[in-house]
Amino acid sequence: MSGTSLRPMAGSVGVLVALATLPWWAGDQYQIHLAALIAAWWILVAGLNLVVGFGGQLSIGHVGLLAIGAYAFAILAGRHEWSPWIALAASGGLGGMCGLLLGLPSLRLPGFYFAMATMAFALIVAELVLALGDLTGGGVGLSVPGFPEPFESPAGHYLLMLGIATMITWCAWNVARFPWGRALVAIRDNPVAAESVGVPVFRMKLAVFVASGVTAGLAGALFASLQSYITPDTFVFELGLFFFVCIIIGGRGSIAGPLAGTAILTALPELVAPLAKLGTLFYGLLLLAVVLLVPEGIGRLFQVILERVRPRETASPVLEPDAARLAAAIRRQERP
Amino acid sequence: MLGVLVTGLAIGALYAATALAYNVMYSTSKVLSVTTGHLAMLGGVFGAWFVTELGWHPVPALFASLAVGAFAGWLTDVIAIRRVLARSDEHLWLLSTLALATIVQQGVALWWGTEPKPFPRLLPQDFTAGLADQKYWLPIGTTIVMAAALELFYRRTLYGKLFVAMSEDAFAARARGVETDRLRAISYGIAGALGALAGFAAGQLTFAFFAVGLTLTLNGFIALAVGGLGSNVGALVGGAALGLLNAFSANLIGGEYQNTVSVGLLMLVLLLKPEGLFGSRRVRPV
Amino acid sequence: MDFRRPLAALLLSLATASTAWAESPIRIGWLSSLTGALSSAAVAENQGVQFAVDEINQTGGIGGRKIELVTYDTQGDPTKAVNFAQRLAFVDKVHFVIGPVNSGESLATVPIVAKAGIPNIIIGTIDELVDPKRFPRAFRAINTNRQWITAANDYALKTLKKSKIAIIGDTSGYGTSSAKTAAELLEKAGVKPVFSTLVDPNKTDLTDELAKAKAAGADVVMPWSAATGLLARLLNARGDMGWKVSIVGHPALMAPAIRKLLNKPEYWTDAYAAGYVSMTAGADGKLPAATKSLVDRMRPKLGGAEIDFMFWWVALGYDTVHIVEHAVKKAGGTDPAAIQKALETTAELKGVYADYTWTAEDRNGFPDVGVVMNLADSFKDGTYRAPKAP
Repeated sequence: MSGTSLRPMAGSVGVLVALATLPWWAGDQYQIHLAALIAAWWILVAGLNLVVGFGGQLSIGHVGLLAIGAYAFAILAGRHEWSPWIALAASGGLGGMCGLLLGLPSLRLPGFYFAMATMAFALIVAELVLALGDLTGGGVGLSVPGFPEPFESPAGHYLLMLGIATMITWCAWNVARFPWGRALVAIRDNPVAAESVGVPVFRMKLAVFVASGVTAGLAGALFASLQSYITPDTFVFELGLFFFVCIIIGGRGSIAGPLAGTAILTALPELVAPLAKLGTLFYGLLLLAVVLLVPEGIGRLFQVILERVRPRETASPVLEPDAARLAAAIRRQERP
Repeated sequence: MLGVLVTGLAIGALYAATALAYNVMYSTSKVLSVTTGHLAMLGGVFGAWFVTELGWHPVPALFASLAVGAFAGWLTDVIAIRRVLARSDEHLWLLSTLALATIVQQGVALWWGTEPKPFPRLLPQDFTAGLADQKYWLPIGTTIVMAAALELFYRRTLYGKLFVAMSEDAFAARARGVETDRLRAISYGIAGALGALAGFAAGQLTFAFFAVGLTLTLNGFIALAVGGLGSNVGALVGGAALGLLNAFSANLIGGEYQNTVSVGLLMLVLLLKPEGLFGSRRVRPV
Repeated sequence: MDFRRPLAALLLSLATASTAWAESPIRIGWLSSLTGALSSAAVAENQGVQFAVDEINQTGGIGGRKIELVTYDTQGDPTKAVNFAQRLAFVDKVHFVIGPVNSGESLATVPIVAKAGIPNIIIGTIDELVDPKRFPRAFRAINTNRQWITAANDYALKTLKKSKIAIIGDTSGYGTSSAKTAAELLEKAGVKPVFSTLVDPNKTDLTDELAKAKAAGADVVMPWSAATGLLARLLNARGDMGWKVSIVGHPALMAPAIRKLLNKPEYWTDAYAAGYVSMTAGADGKLPAATKSLVDRMRPKLGGAEIDFMFWWVALGYDTVHIVEHAVKKAGGTDPAAIQKALETTAELKGVYADYTWTAEDRNGFPDVGVVMNLADSFKDGTYRAPKAP
């Protein structure tokens, strides 16, 4: 068993080393910027993936939580000159709190109701950002400070985001691996059955949703400092759709799939101009194709191909009766 | 104040009509499609295209728009519903209709443009009629007629009765030899035509504008949830309530908090009466 | 963290630039929202930019160096605009950046371009975009939002002699901030608006807002919104109500797209929008010579027929490239510091769209006298007429 789980571990470490040394082998600063942007999106998507991919709650409004984190960071670290670290933590905390406020009434709702409630939430945040101009700078927006040395340079900023993204990935991986994650999948696949075997459905959904709020808040703060300036135009509804598509296309219920989805969907339109022209239409087509053809996500498709090419050894466990205990049990039965 | 009342009712009628289209699709498939608002948008955009760009008379343009809407509704079933309903995963239809809605909206944006374009005057009437203007009462009248016709359809025709049977128990209906797949396709076509009719009737109010779809999907849904899923009376009441609330809140506190107010209404109703004003209590999904 | 490599590359490119001055092209990055919701202005500006580049290249380039235009479509999305700004600065290593088109995008890209030390020609109107200290190499070619608003306010107060003003802004970022600035500037002039409100840009009917403005005693309505649909509904509501009130405001009031959205053509009268001296025909019906010449030269490219969009967009795009040409000639090369010096000391640079002057303290090149009020319904062949003096 340990041999098989070591291999992906080694792979992950290899990828991580490659990513951590990116500033030294990347061609230019633009690539570093793009990598940092992917890291920011991934921090949000990793949390959202627990909600969508494991919990089965289709939130299309996480862009609202992202905006809250971004504006909180810009206001606290920029206008009030808090330490960026405390402001970052506060953004995550505020994201979690807003996640709680959104989740409490809406998580009890059935699928479509919930999706619409999250979409409405994103619209409300957009509306309030403009209406509360004295706080948020209104349409003009806010300038956002960076982090202190050694994270001030683009490469440093990237490494900071990579570090946080790695931490979040590790957390998400643990959640997914342990009984907790299994319970989440059970909720996604059959909430009624899950409840009947004693899974506290609502409490777990809420906890996961709050956690995704924290990651969205953190992602917002990091994204804002990466952009160095935020305006309401940045946080459009299509961005929320984008996060959602990253997860579905990558494959719900895994970590690697959505991670690959985020990286590819962020980088692809930058590299292939015709795709960029299609814009959101491209995401719509991709989403439809995946849902109809491979509902488990493209990640699952690769897995299937991989298994065709190199079949997994299925260990057939041999059950051997524990003769001593059996004998003891029989003896106990016989005694009276 | 009368002006606010009439404008609120007019836009509320459009929400109500969208809610009716939701209901028709829901009755046969138990699916709430994200494309519902976009069906109305198509009615407005194609109506404008037929009349102003192709120079047709409004009457053939109306029927052509209805055909476009019916086709789009039928396509929703074929592409986004049929294959997906066969699978057990209950969320897939949400994803497939969301994808289709995005494709429709962005496709129209690429073809029609992102600026609102004019919608033609349908009836000869002077513009100085004030509150008696057709742009207000066309959507209001159309929606009322639509709701009444739907009720008649459900109660008096064979197909209508089959719809009701299917919404009560699709399995039992199928066991009795009802072709449920064909019925569902028909219901989606009807919903598409209804949506397009609403979009056409309200075209002078909304202009021919690609972004109307998503707004209607959300607001039509709020009207539906407030009125009660599955109830046509509820859809009318919910739509009118939402339209009036929007108009009066814009009048009293300004336009900055439109969405906040609408969603506030939704949350309030869902907390106090989760099944909506006229809805029937859902059975526990066991 | 490692700046040595880019620095070395920069030094190297500077060294080669000075020795190989004649051969190496001048690279201009052009951030343009050619698709997406805000594309109409960008598409027109792109025509002007392309035309100017072609013209210059056909006559041998700038001092023998051809212009190489690197165009990116930002789709009006600030996140994409930032990505492309990074790409222009660090992959394409351009000498100049023109744009982006929309203020929302520009607010995000200007600090990035400034950090990379690249001269940036700004074509967004929001006041916060230029700052000689923070962004010393950002020079604005377009007018400021304040110049539009001041011209409109002056027209309402001094020319129309009306002081009971109702301000209507839309709830977009641009609308809210413009409505606020308009109210501030009016109050500075000693006039408090009698009514002020913000409206959703997709609101289907503005009768209610206008009725309230009327009840408040307004004698002039000033809309600050770039949404043509909303402005058309405002004009329609005024016409349908039969209320004789002047409308004075944003240039979008005179966008040709409005004509088709009006219930009746005459609803467009008694409406005035901020426009440009260079795009306004005189009493004799003739355009300024430079504008006329550009219209004539470009007409074949634009399809040969009457121009059905606002020509000032084209003229602005055309001028940005000529500002680059002027700067390179004056600085004797593309050294960014020399370019900055050259533009800082530019006075009365003749352009089609305006004559530009920048100083060490002021990065707004567009002169106040370049803005003039136009009759909203006077659109013809891309240009306008001024209202007769009352």
